[in-house]
Amino acid sequence: MEFRHRRRRKQRSFCAERPSSLAELQEGETGVVVSASGGLGLVRRLAEMGLTPGVEVKLLRKCPLRGPVEIEVRGVCLALGCGVASKVLVKPAKEEQDG
Amino acid sequence: MVSQLRIALAGNANVGKSVIFNQLTGLNQTTGNWPGKTVEKAEGTLYFKGYTIRVVDLPGTYSLSAFSIEEIVARDYIAIEKPDVVINVIDASALERNLYLTQQLLELEAPLVVSLNQVDLAAKKGLKIDAEKLSALLSVPVVPTVAVAGSGISELLSAAVSVAFDEKKVQVRGVKFGEEIERKVELVEKFVAAEIPDLAAVYPVRWVAIKLLEKDQDLTSKLSSYKHGKKVLDFAYDLAADLEKLHGEPSPIVIASERYSIASKWAKETTTVETPPKASLEHRLDAVTTHKVLGYPILAGMVISIFALIFIGGNYLSDALNYLFANLAAYVDVALSPFLPSFAVDLLNKGIVSGVVAGVTIVLPYIVPFYLILAMLEDSGYLPRAAFLMDNLMHKIGLHGKAFIPLILGYGCSVPACIGCRIMETERERFLAAFVVVLIPCAARTVVILGLVGKYVGLHAALALYAFDLILVFVLGRIAFKVLPGEPVGLIMEIPPYRKPSLKSMFVKTWARTKEFVYSAFPIIVVGSVAIETLALSGVLQHVVYAGSPLLEGWLGLRAEAGAPLIFGILRKELTLVLLSETVALDSLTAVQMIVFALVVMIYIPCLATIAACKREFGWRKALAITFIDIALAFLLGGIAFRLLQMVRL
Repeated sequence: MEFRHRRRRKQRSFCAERPSSLAELQEGETGVVVSASGGLGLVRRLAEMGLTPGVEVKLLRKCPLRGPVEIEVRGVCLALGCGVASKVLVKPAKEEQDG
Repeated sequence: MVSQLRIALAGNANVGKSVIFNQLTGLNQTTGNWPGKTVEKAEGTLYFKGYTIRVVDLPGTYSLSAFSIEEIVARDYIAIEKPDVVINVIDASALERNLYLTQQLLELEAPLVVSLNQVDLAAKKGLKIDAEKLSALLSVPVVPTVAVAGSGISELLSAAVSVAFDEKKVQVRGVKFGEEIERKVELVEKFVAAEIPDLAAVYPVRWVAIKLLEKDQDLTSKLSSYKHGKKVLDFAYDLAADLEKLHGEPSPIVIASERYSIASKWAKETTTVETPPKASLEHRLDAVTTHKVLGYPILAGMVISIFALIFIGGNYLSDALNYLFANLAAYVDVALSPFLPSFAVDLLNKGIVSGVVAGVTIVLPYIVPFYLILAMLEDSGYLPRAAFLMDNLMHKIGLHGKAFIPLILGYGCSVPACIGCRIMETERERFLAAFVVVLIPCAARTVVILGLVGKYVGLHAALALYAFDLILVFVLGRIAFKVLPGEPVGLIMEIPPYRKPSLKSMFVKTWARTKEFVYSAFPIIVVGSVAIETLALSGVLQHVVYAGSPLLEGWLGLRAEAGAPLIFGILRKELTLVLLSETVALDSLTAVQMIVFALVVMIYIPCLATIAACKREFGWRKALAITFIDIALAFLLGGIAFRLLQMVRL
């Protein structure tokens, strides 16, 4: 796992502690998956692709106009539609280090 | 001693299973750099050290949880048909994710050999994997391979054969979970073994226990046919509920997380990061081609230049071939006239000779370059990126980005594209995708568009037809999306790294496709040509022309002679142009006639092979629905286009 964006995370550390969705991450930002909401089918597929609670994800890019996002998880690049990404809740990754 | 062996290739999507399959069997199973190519299992035979080995290439899966067709195909084959060896192909550059499936194969107690593939790609990422250590952790043989280069393949085969004859292969190798899950698995295991010994004889008991805790639907329904099935199910579900309470997640997620934490541990223990990855050419290419702004003009530019290239190259080739074959018919005439009656010479000449010549000069020049470019697109890894970019737009017609891949394949041939719609997750999406895919002009229709409109009217008119087709696809897709009931599904797709397409692989693929095309198309072209010539010579054609003239001349503004080619075009679309060129001089048609003809050909009825593929995927009712909608649409739009174009001309 990469820890390249630690500095930016610190700047954000006072920001919302509540989990936000994967779709709300900025490009290059990292987060830790808290949970995924939605039907069991979707949650299960996400888990099978490696998006399980506690895993670190990095948002690589985002298409405009609520387009899909590309993330890196467990060394693999995944494309997620915006609807899917907004169902994955993440928290800032820093808590693992500081807390 | 047995000399017959069965080997199955299993693994995640896009790890190189089909490449290994081709290396092993010498066959030409479709390969390419995008997930979801292999939708059905393929089989081949090889001979090795006196053994006859059947090799089965299973579709790529991320899991064995019976959620998609691919998963059921793969799981049933391994669990029920019990191959002698399962070769689990894993991508060394994404070890963690790949080992998730490996664990499930171990749970199934399949006799396993791991092919640690794409070690070259991992090295590029700065990752070095210790194969021996991995082998010790998994307690199965691990063979490093680079399938595209053919290295490690014979070692893999040796390992597979020795596993097949290893007497101790029935050893219990199920991976132990963390304590609290493990305890529950063992409880269910004992219960299943005691209550339903019949089931335990078919499947590994431990696997059944895990699947029940995961609330696997397929197994749950199987269980209901056993006497004590309900009892076992209740017992397992109670324990699953305990797990859910403890973790606050559905039990399948709890177990998936557990598997991933084991996979992650294995991956960490065996991987050393040698050099930090630096921005390579592939990385920069990736950044530009999937850029949120630049990506779209690049995609559009690429598509337009591909068609321009095929058009220019195809025209050039077509002219050159025409020049070569120009006098063939005359030679045949001179050579045979002394020996045969004139009607036989005519039949031979106008039927067989001109059929073959038309096939060679009209069809091949456009199709071969197209196949070559398609192979390059497939091998490079651009297709999933295009799918990513198009996700937003595809949602407008109720699909997601992945549907863009069969759509692009549709420009090659509707049949594989139709079957390729299986990469969509639900039945509804597969049908919706297939409905729009058959409207995409395949290579055969491209022959008509470029060979008639492009050549005689101009490239701009041909491109306009393509653009119109895209608009049509969008509008019809949108209507179908609104009409068909059901919820759209979101995009979840792996994006593989870019890879430099190997020239050899591109040529092999192009050759295989061209060969298949020639074998299936040329007999039909020749038979069709002879048939139409016979009809003409016997005078029947005039009746057909007469009967069709109100529709063709009155409504579409075409020459009545276009009727027979349009009917024969049901067999193959390029046949329409070949036959038209035999009944009328192409340059005697007006521009409007050419455009309307190409438009009708582009839309009406997917060819017989496509109808058959649709039938296989969706049943007769839906296949016929697609067919009739397309015919009606073609004639409706053709008539409207004729009138509009005439107004413009005035």
